[in-house]
Amino acid sequence: MKKVALKSGALLLSLALAASTAHAADPAFPKAPSGNVTLEVWSWVPGLDKTVAAFTKQYPNISVKILNLGGGPQTYTKLTTAIKAGSGAPDVAQVEYGFLPAFADTGGIVDLSKYGANDYKKYFVPWTWGQVSPDGQGVYAIPQDTGPFAMVYRQDILKKYGVAVPKTWDEYAKAAAAVNAKSKGAVKLGNFYSTFAPWFMALAWADGGQFFKRDGDGWVQTLNNSSSKKVLNYWYSMIKKGDVSTVIAFSADYWNAAGAGKIATNMEAAWGPGGYAGSLKDKSAGLWRVAPIPQWTAGGKVASGNWGGSSNVVTTQSKNPEAATLFALWLNLSTPAITANWNNGGLFPASDAGLGLSALDDKSKNPSKFFGGQNISAVYAQASRGVNVNFQWAPWFPFVNDNFNKQMDKMLKGQLTPDQALDAWQAESLAEAKKGGFTVK
Amino acid sequence: MRNRATPWFFLAPFLIAFTAFFLAPVGYAFYLSLFIKKRSGFGPAKDVFGGLANYARAFTDSDFLHSLLNILLFLVIQVPLMLVVATALALILDGVKNGFAQRFFRTAFYLPYTVPSVIAGLLWGYLYSKNLSPLNYITGAKTDFLASGILLWSIGNIVTWTWTGYNMITLYAALQNVPTDLYEAARIDGASGWDVTRYIKIPLLRPALTLTAIFSVIGTMQIFSEPFVLRPLGYVPDNITPNTYLYLAVARDGNFGYGATLAIVLALFTFILSGFFLKNVRGES
Repeated sequence: MKKVALKSGALLLSLALAASTAHAADPAFPKAPSGNVTLEVWSWVPGLDKTVAAFTKQYPNISVKILNLGGGPQTYTKLTTAIKAGSGAPDVAQVEYGFLPAFADTGGIVDLSKYGANDYKKYFVPWTWGQVSPDGQGVYAIPQDTGPFAMVYRQDILKKYGVAVPKTWDEYAKAAAAVNAKSKGAVKLGNFYSTFAPWFMALAWADGGQFFKRDGDGWVQTLNNSSSKKVLNYWYSMIKKGDVSTVIAFSADYWNAAGAGKIATNMEAAWGPGGYAGSLKDKSAGLWRVAPIPQWTAGGKVASGNWGGSSNVVTTQSKNPEAATLFALWLNLSTPAITANWNNGGLFPASDAGLGLSALDDKSKNPSKFFGGQNISAVYAQASRGVNVNFQWAPWFPFVNDNFNKQMDKMLKGQLTPDQALDAWQAESLAEAKKGGFTVK
Repeated sequence: MRNRATPWFFLAPFLIAFTAFFLAPVGYAFYLSLFIKKRSGFGPAKDVFGGLANYARAFTDSDFLHSLLNILLFLVIQVPLMLVVATALALILDGVKNGFAQRFFRTAFYLPYTVPSVIAGLLWGYLYSKNLSPLNYITGAKTDFLASGILLWSIGNIVTWTWTGYNMITLYAALQNVPTDLYEAARIDGASGWDVTRYIKIPLLRPALTLTAIFSVIGTMQIFSEPFVLRPLGYVPDNITPNTYLYLAVARDGNFGYGATLAIVLALFTFILSGFFLKNVRGES
């Protein structure tokens, strides 16, 4: 059984290689340094050790030690501490886009433009490069995976309540009211993630919302921008009417509700479907589908935002920054690596050629299999092409991220209107940034 | 000469350990607390000497003061409640004549303490889950145990669940040391079971109660993992306890100076509170 899987994997890999060489060859990577080099890599990508085996085959003098720290806040704490302590940091580490400026701020990560990283800009999906190189000069990381937004939905439930897949937010609101009424409140069309600022920000991002911008020597922060207000007021009115639920994302409650058919749609990043396939494999498999997120105006180009996704930084403690840069580029641009990253870890590539990777379209495997054999990657690839390029994060984003939860809690309790909640989010985050010594308006 | 050196020789292991694991970290924390973040334009932030600026900020930081208030609430409600229950359990166990029942309940009461607090937090996190909570299922209510109004009580419940058995064991051990001739004498004088408890057992428990109370005061100051593991399950304020707040200052906001300041202020606060407590207990006896 295992052998068969391995064989078919190898077959797919060679097919993928053949297919990708047909439309885009792997870029020429920087020259490997001579002599023996050991790199330590902190990452939460499952199965990265297998990918690395392919790397060491190609570069036998570079050995790579993988440490899987599981991701999440603890990983960042460990990295922050190692940077502060001046020792113990790895050569390469995985960092989400939103948290990248905070690490650039510590001075512990290398500007990779020194090692020619700018030459590789053209190989990445344009908006991802904006995430790692906010000023178009310094390059603070190599983009790894992305989380463009699409809508997952339960085909059977929409059919049951006679609702078409909503293409605009207007249709979505009407469908939400219809499902709520017809199911007598038992089924909600959607869910608002009140404890995930990046989820909300991705929806505003899709509308062109900007939260942070560099301005000369300082920053401008606009958490209460017009897109932000539009999106929050829109969702709040549905929450108030009871048309959508507010179950905490990734909680036992959430998976239970989604599996039991109590939530019919959700806006999910490209890494989301893997979670659905994993968490709901015994419940509702084959009933889900993916469609582009609803748009504010009908008929135009599909606009989307991004939630999560990550990049690889090289730390200033690395003794071999050139080899580390080479590894980060290879890991995120070479066909065998991005194929393995997708197959083993469900990483939706940031590489431009990666969006056309044939492995993404394999309908016989999860997550596509869970989604009834639909080619869901095509929907996500389209979403990735529709992500606004000019989106930036600020070094104090970790605080902003947590403060969002506080304001949403007050809003859901009826203590603040959506506008007031966003204004408080803006005011408290601004005060905190100033206390931290930032020049920010 | 030799005589003078001898005590130092024997003290050396302690002094070395004390310096390495207590004085040095405290000294380093104090050193860190004198620095503030300075940023000019873009690029890495610099830590510059700020004197006592961090301390001035700490004493006017309403979030930090609020976290101390939460802890005081804990001290007034959770600690006494836990110690009363622990005492009651210890007295009951002491009174039970059946050896098997005694051993069974002693282990059962102690068991929660053997569960690491992170695991306890996760376990209770499931039990608190709004739509899946067995308590909600039985009562048919839709209580959100993680809503900000009752969150502190939910955390108090986890702490009580974990530590009551631990304190009970200490108190129970103290009861085992009560000389049995005291009971005999009391019985000859015609004392009832309640009289024995009231006039012999409880007064003799006083030193053990002081000890468990002091440990509980210090432990309460350090509450961290319970609220921290509940964070992904709902909205848990940054400043629910002083430790979560100072952890976030360091780990999330990268402000080591301010985090160190908060740690020192918290340590002083703990020191003063436990000193105050000890003095008053001693004064009574």
